[in-house]
Amino acid sequence: MTCNEIKELTVPYLELDLEPVRVREVTIHLDGCAKCRAEMEAVRQVLVRVKGVTVPDPGDQFWSEFPGRVRRELAHAQMKGQGDVTLLRRPVSARSWLRTSMWPMALAASVLLFIGAWFLKGLVDKGLVQAPTEQTVVQTPQGSQDLTHPTDADLETYWDDDPDTVLVEMAARLDQRTMDRLFGDI
Amino acid sequence: MESDTQLLDRYAAGEESAFEELVRRHQKTIYDLAYRMLENHADAADMAQKTFVQAFLHHRSFKRESSFRTWLYQIGLNLCRNAIRDRARLAHEDVEEVTLTAPHDTFAEVANGELKDRLGEAIRTLPTRQREALVLRVYHNHAFAEIGTIMSCSEGTAKANYHHAVDKLRRILVAGEGIP
Repeated sequence: MTCNEIKELTVPYLELDLEPVRVREVTIHLDGCAKCRAEMEAVRQVLVRVKGVTVPDPGDQFWSEFPGRVRRELAHAQMKGQGDVTLLRRPVSARSWLRTSMWPMALAASVLLFIGAWFLKGLVDKGLVQAPTEQTVVQTPQGSQDLTHPTDADLETYWDDDPDTVLVEMAARLDQRTMDRLFGDI
Repeated sequence: MESDTQLLDRYAAGEESAFEELVRRHQKTIYDLAYRMLENHADAADMAQKTFVQAFLHHRSFKRESSFRTWLYQIGLNLCRNAIRDRARLAHEDVEEVTLTAPHDTFAEVANGELKDRLGEAIRTLPTRQREALVLRVYHNHAFAEIGTIMSCSEGTAKANYHHAVDKLRRILVAGEGIP
């Protein structure tokens, strides 16, 4: 092995970053070459001195406060909308929530309305519910007078003189079938 | 003890204690790296803080192919490179040959006498990549494969940068002090 080859291998040799065979070859060369031994020692001294350079410790207070400083800076960056995920989630305003939720809500309401109408139609078809017709209008036994809409003439004729009689009369004129339908379950 | 990735998962789930633990676990390492690259307390503290902020802001980008610590190193080193580049731009100097001149810093002046000696000056003259390799190898005891990962280069390139750095320091010191 030549001196130039040794020079190339000086740092790996000192770093123990050589294969055993190469280490043996370098060692044998160094045993017989004072110049390369001096070179090797010079590099070793440089490494020792470099390793001796220390970084001054900024102190316990700095280290204890450091996470808080990072947290504040992180929160500030997140408020500006940077990054992937926010620990401090920005509050959602009611207006923006409504704006984003309006379409889904309208769609859901439409679907519910349709289902309700369809269900009601099914009940009517099965006869479980009576659909409103003209026959359900309460009529007097005499004919076509609608008690739900008493005429002004009735009120004026009887109410001022004898309201109790008017009430009794109205009750008497109720269709018995209507009474049965309305109060049959009670 | 919980691993870094477990803590990161907890942080992602919104646990503040995990955030604090992760910062405390790595703050000295990242500060040391930043100080050795930037050579003053104010810049090192600022850079370390930015490193963690960037890591937590973009933690979903962490692919977990390397360790969280290695990822922090990558972020920190990139930020330091940017800072060095900015300094060089301000000083109108070539970034690869820039002599890092630390801004006025009372703390550094008082506490960091060691980096002001001849060896410190020699280290300052190293090109950025060589200096990175030296710092990661000598002070942070990384294997060359990991240094390559951190520096985004091959293991061989990391070794070459380190060897050149040591060789350059030797030549500078030999020339200055008469070491044979």
